[in-house]
Amino acid sequence: MKQVSKFRFVVSTAIALLTLVMALPAQTFASSPYEGYTRNKLGADVHSINGYMYENSIDGYNLSSGPFNAPEDIFLADDGTIYIVDTGNSRVVQLNANREVLNIIGDEEGDGKLNEPKGVFVKPDGTIFVADTKNQRIAIYDKEGKFTKQFGKPDNPLLGATFSYSPSKLLVDKRNYMFVVSDGNTQGLIQIDPNGQFKGFYGANHVGFSWSRLFIKLIATDEQKAKLSVVRPLEFSNAVQDDEGFIYTSTLGTETNQLKRLSPVGVDTLNNGDRRYGGRFDAGPFEVPSFLDIAVDKDGVITALDLQSSKVYQYDKLGNFLFVFGGLGDQNGLFVTPSSLAQSQDGTVFVVDKGRNRIDLFRTTPFADIVHDASSLFVEGRYKEAEGMWNEVLHLNANFDLAYLAIGKSLYKAENYKGAMDYFELASSREDYSNAFKEYRKEYIREHFAWICLAVITLIVILRYLMPFLWRRVSAKLADRSIVRAGLIKGGVPHDRNV
Amino acid sequence: MIATFRMMRQVLVHPIDFYNDIQEQNRIKWSQALFVVACAYIARMIAILITGYAFETREPYEISFVHEFIWIIVPWLTWTISNWGVSTILEGEGKFKEVFVGSAFAFVPYAVFIIPITLLTNILALDEGSIFGFLVNVTIYWVAWLLLLKVKIVHDFELIKVVWITLLSIAGILIIWFIGILMFGLMNQLINFIVDMFKEVNFRR
Repeated sequence: MKQVSKFRFVVSTAIALLTLVMALPAQTFASSPYEGYTRNKLGADVHSINGYMYENSIDGYNLSSGPFNAPEDIFLADDGTIYIVDTGNSRVVQLNANREVLNIIGDEEGDGKLNEPKGVFVKPDGTIFVADTKNQRIAIYDKEGKFTKQFGKPDNPLLGATFSYSPSKLLVDKRNYMFVVSDGNTQGLIQIDPNGQFKGFYGANHVGFSWSRLFIKLIATDEQKAKLSVVRPLEFSNAVQDDEGFIYTSTLGTETNQLKRLSPVGVDTLNNGDRRYGGRFDAGPFEVPSFLDIAVDKDGVITALDLQSSKVYQYDKLGNFLFVFGGLGDQNGLFVTPSSLAQSQDGTVFVVDKGRNRIDLFRTTPFADIVHDASSLFVEGRYKEAEGMWNEVLHLNANFDLAYLAIGKSLYKAENYKGAMDYFELASSREDYSNAFKEYRKEYIREHFAWICLAVITLIVILRYLMPFLWRRVSAKLADRSIVRAGLIKGGVPHDRNV
Repeated sequence: MIATFRMMRQVLVHPIDFYNDIQEQNRIKWSQALFVVACAYIARMIAILITGYAFETREPYEISFVHEFIWIIVPWLTWTISNWGVSTILEGEGKFKEVFVGSAFAFVPYAVFIIPITLLTNILALDEGSIFGFLVNVTIYWVAWLLLLKVKIVHDFELIKVVWITLLSIAGILIIWFIGILMFGLMNQLINFIVDMFKEVNFRR
């Protein structure tokens, strides 16, 4: 009898516990197939909280336009309209903010028929510019998707006889000038005016100086030189423009400065010196990141897509590493062959996966929201307002070195130099530490001036009078002792070596 | 001990007299050289410890007391051997003991001054770092000058020959290092071979 009741008790407790566990909400934790990390000041990758989580996908199966085929580009208009370049189907699909098909562009026979387009740009008034790659032209459609005009291959002696035109990406600025990325072109972005005239190259990458090349040039014969491969500047893969008119470019085939912010005259204002973007070990040794696309939000946060590791990297306006997500694989949140990305007004990142014919959406995590808010204040120099947020960031993730630097700067601004020194030391920023230290030193000397003077005077007295006095005493004693010892050794007759 | 400190003082204030004096009979001991080098090593370690944060060029985990020791003892020993060998062939008068002790005492300026100079890094900012850099350089040039003076006085050479002998000694140092590294590699191979063979035999027993 007793045993039965005990058994019943155990079972009922177990059931109660089980129901308790089951009753907990299913989504108490969200896992992602990729691990978040951030780069600390020593250059090592350390664990961090993920900034972006996979939300859902657009694959076109439930759209009236049918599934996508190898999409290459995406454009998000400010009103939430989505333009997807469906390269394999040779069309551009226009979706509204609720992801219903608004229009399909370029699939009708006629002048407006597209042939494997690779890029799209839409002006705020709704005019659609498509880089119609296989037709070697820029096709322009109006708001309703009706073909209006086209610009063919630009004709100019500056382009050279061997120039091959294959426009893949483009952007249009406020003056209606087009900046065209042409596959395989190493001379920079092609500028085309609203009349279709070639207006020059913009922002070309340069071939740097190399000692080995100079050496080869000096000793190689003309025949050998002819056989050497020609060194060409690096090729742009994509370009976007921010609200201030800066053009951000991504460059292929280099380990440093793959991302650039070009001023209107084509000078890089993002990197001073060599800076490595992308992961160091993500793609494997000897692999160079190849950034395919870049997106910039209103705060200047740069999001870039690397094909080599299939990851998306995010940097703040100054180029500090913020977040990374994605990777190579089949799970939701990983990519097969990513080709393009874009960022919507609310911060959702759209990544086009050409290999899986769909578009993956990633939303920011609460952690990323705090970091974004804090970093937008930080890059504007409003350190004080950002301090609380950075403390919150550190509370969530103490590995985030940028937060220490930011708090240090805030304390420096608030003239708390000692505190600033501590935070700069945590951030391993020696330059800032030294600046804070200089101010702290000034303050310290001002407060303790009397004591410092006293110490200096005491030191002088000790060195000038006390030390020589002691020295004389000691050496006199030593001399006495050595005389005594010499006396003992030499049989009591000091200073007489002849004995 | 007291005599060693006297000699350290003498090499700082009257280096020429010092190098003349050490050639006297029974004036120097081997242990004095070891003591001075140990002082230089300890001074270096203390200097690394007390460097101000802004002036640290390495993270703490990148510093090894063994490596620091090697970086003082190996250049000194190889210089001694190489310089003694070269100058003995080229009619130098110095004995090995004199070269050994004389080179060691050239470290005295470093051992004495590096700690006070490094203390400065705690009150200097980075943009005033040139003061610190200048003082460190002066100390190092002082050490180099003492080494040259030692070559000149201990071996009783002309100035031109001092330069020539110094260059030859440096070449000698490089050769010693090269052979040392080579021997290290070959010994490694040999030991590995023997160990492997032992394992193999043991395995098939």
